[in-house]
Amino acid sequence: MKVQFKNKLEEKLVRGTLKIQKLLIYRIIQRTLLLIFPFALFGSFIKIIQTVILGKEGFLTDIFPTLNNDFIYRQIDNITNGLYDLSLGWVSVIAIFGAAKYTAKYYHRDDQLAGITGISSLLIVDYAYSKIQPVSFHTQILGMKGLLFAIILGMFIGWLFKKTSRPAPNLEDKATTSVIERAFISLKPIVFSLLIAIIFSTLINITYYSEAPGNFINSLATEYTSQNSWAQLLKTLVFAIYTLVMSFFGWSGTYSALGVEKMDILSTVNLNYALQKHTAWNAPNPFTSSTLYHAFATFGGTGAVLGLIIAILIVSHDKDFQTVARWAMIPSIFNISSGIMTGIPILFNVIFLIPFILAPIANMLMAALAIALHLMPPSVYPVPIGTPGPLIAFIATNGSWQALFFSVLAIIISTYIYIPFVKMAAKVKLLDNLGLEEGDH
Amino acid sequence: MKFSNLRKNKNFKYLVALIIIFILLGIPSYIWTRRNVTTLAGRYNSPMSPVIMIPGSSASANRFDDLVKTVNRQYGEHHSLLKMTVHTNDKITYTGSIRPNDDRPFIVVGFENNNDGYANIKKQAAWFNLAFNKLKARYRFNSFNAFGHSNGGLIWTYFLENYFDDSTISINQMLTVGTPYNFEEKNTSNRTQMLHELVKNRDKIPEDLTYYSIAGTQLYTDDGIVPLGSVDAGKYIYEGHIKHYTLITLTGSKAQHSDMIDSNQFITIFHQYIVGNGVNNPGRSKTNKKVPKPRQ
Repeated sequence: MKVQFKNKLEEKLVRGTLKIQKLLIYRIIQRTLLLIFPFALFGSFIKIIQTVILGKEGFLTDIFPTLNNDFIYRQIDNITNGLYDLSLGWVSVIAIFGAAKYTAKYYHRDDQLAGITGISSLLIVDYAYSKIQPVSFHTQILGMKGLLFAIILGMFIGWLFKKTSRPAPNLEDKATTSVIERAFISLKPIVFSLLIAIIFSTLINITYYSEAPGNFINSLATEYTSQNSWAQLLKTLVFAIYTLVMSFFGWSGTYSALGVEKMDILSTVNLNYALQKHTAWNAPNPFTSSTLYHAFATFGGTGAVLGLIIAILIVSHDKDFQTVARWAMIPSIFNISSGIMTGIPILFNVIFLIPFILAPIANMLMAALAIALHLMPPSVYPVPIGTPGPLIAFIATNGSWQALFFSVLAIIISTYIYIPFVKMAAKVKLLDNLGLEEGDH
Repeated sequence: MKFSNLRKNKNFKYLVALIIIFILLGIPSYIWTRRNVTTLAGRYNSPMSPVIMIPGSSASANRFDDLVKTVNRQYGEHHSLLKMTVHTNDKITYTGSIRPNDDRPFIVVGFENNNDGYANIKKQAAWFNLAFNKLKARYRFNSFNAFGHSNGGLIWTYFLENYFDDSTISINQMLTVGTPYNFEEKNTSNRTQMLHELVKNRDKIPEDLTYYSIAGTQLYTDDGIVPLGSVDAGKYIYEGHIKHYTLITLTGSKAQHSDMIDSNQFITIFHQYIVGNGVNNPGRSKTNKKVPKPRQ
């Protein structure tokens, strides 16, 4: 298929991406992400209800009158919790099924059993040895946070099937004999996987290790503060990049797209200043995470993906991209991006890594410049959780029209940054479509 | 990107819808933020609600190390622990730290001068106020739970009556163990000067407080140090003024004054009312209305 390139750089990027796409690991990751997409999308709609409508400090809870009926509130709360926990809340379980299945399938091993073994192994690793609840799991690891780990473990299990069992006979060929036979062929890798999982689970406190680096970085982010504005700017940028890179791998970084992290001392100082002087102008710390990152870099969720959605709606001719963008639009309004992250997918997708980091950083620099030149006040007032990205700066400056103007500008900047990459992604897809089911007869 | 081209785009209606949604959400949020900022009064939306603990006389800020460890282990939770010691020259030293994501950390405030007696308790309450203001400024929480062991409960009461200002911060639950509101006096009709003054100033205690007082008894009368009547005298301060006042009598092998905080019964009560609150109750303003049956 012939594809026209605009310039050398674009060609290089597309060719590079195609090379990476040839890697088995990459193919399996992308396939797995497409598998979890419907659950992530559904979960992100539920998440809107949970955080924006029901949440303690949710956007709509604060702005519209509250639901006073305790019973109805609890019922809705329970229903949404259940739906969320078993959709977006356990995507890692689905992911490990996919990763193990696709890997085993690639090696012509029993893919169904590999997938199921993957689920059991992940749940064993994640098992919480609690005296209170007989069967319980560390829930953080089952969600998006555990995605990378689940995919790696899943591929390891698929590989274990390759190493320790022989190819599975095709069921359709000799349907009469093979069911028991099939089970016994895969017995060895199943037992090995579960044993490795239980050893892992007993030796390592998974939540501790998965949270330890984050906690370390978080304490750096909140404890270390500088009086110098430029040092603040640098620090905010560094932690923003860290957050973006981590989010690219499905982890959460220092800054969350939903709500402001706790105990940012500089923001508190700003707020106190603003409440005393009755204005946000000239707040003592102009370049904190809330004035730059939360107010300007999280439109549509981490990575300013609202820009991507608009870019797709404007320039993309790809049907899949458009469908995903339309569906993911609503959760993205409330900064919940899991739908688009897994649907396009952006996660682990080398093409989108560049704009995913570039767009938020460009927005932050634009905002920093505007604040430094006194074109708009810094965002200092508290903002409810799930406030639509472009309205955060507006609300957090007590309705400053300048801030709203720069928010609109930020949307335009991020859209323009995403547009060339959307076109590139379309070309890559044309040359090598990972979404097609391969090897399925 | 020409606008006329854009209009032909079949996604044009989605883009328009996006803009309309933002405008529709923008108008109420504008009104909200205008109203919110004017009524904000310095309150910061912090999800953190610490458990602040004061040890009894002759105990240091390390008094509750084992209790925190036990709670973390037994319930599989990871609360962090910050210990502060206020020295006689008003200097404060810190050990431990609060983990950034911890919504319910434990904070222990101990005193260099940890002697018994009403005069010392007044001083300690003043010192506690210093520490409390430091905490408030540093962590910006707007609610907390209180725990006091023995004289720690007296310091809490004196603090609530003389220093605490509930317009910016609210106290949800309080739990005390073996707090001698009438010192060593068994008979509540003989009121000490302290009890007399605490009862007199009770109006300043926040009315929405829920308070659980635990009294230990061995052989029906005291916990080895504090008489049951002295703990019970707390009712003259709290009963009828605050939302709920509950007296719990704890007996059994670890009902001795200093051992009580190691007892399983105590740890269950502590976790249920002081640590667990908020987990099962959506909404910060709702207080736990469950009242346990006191064991007779």
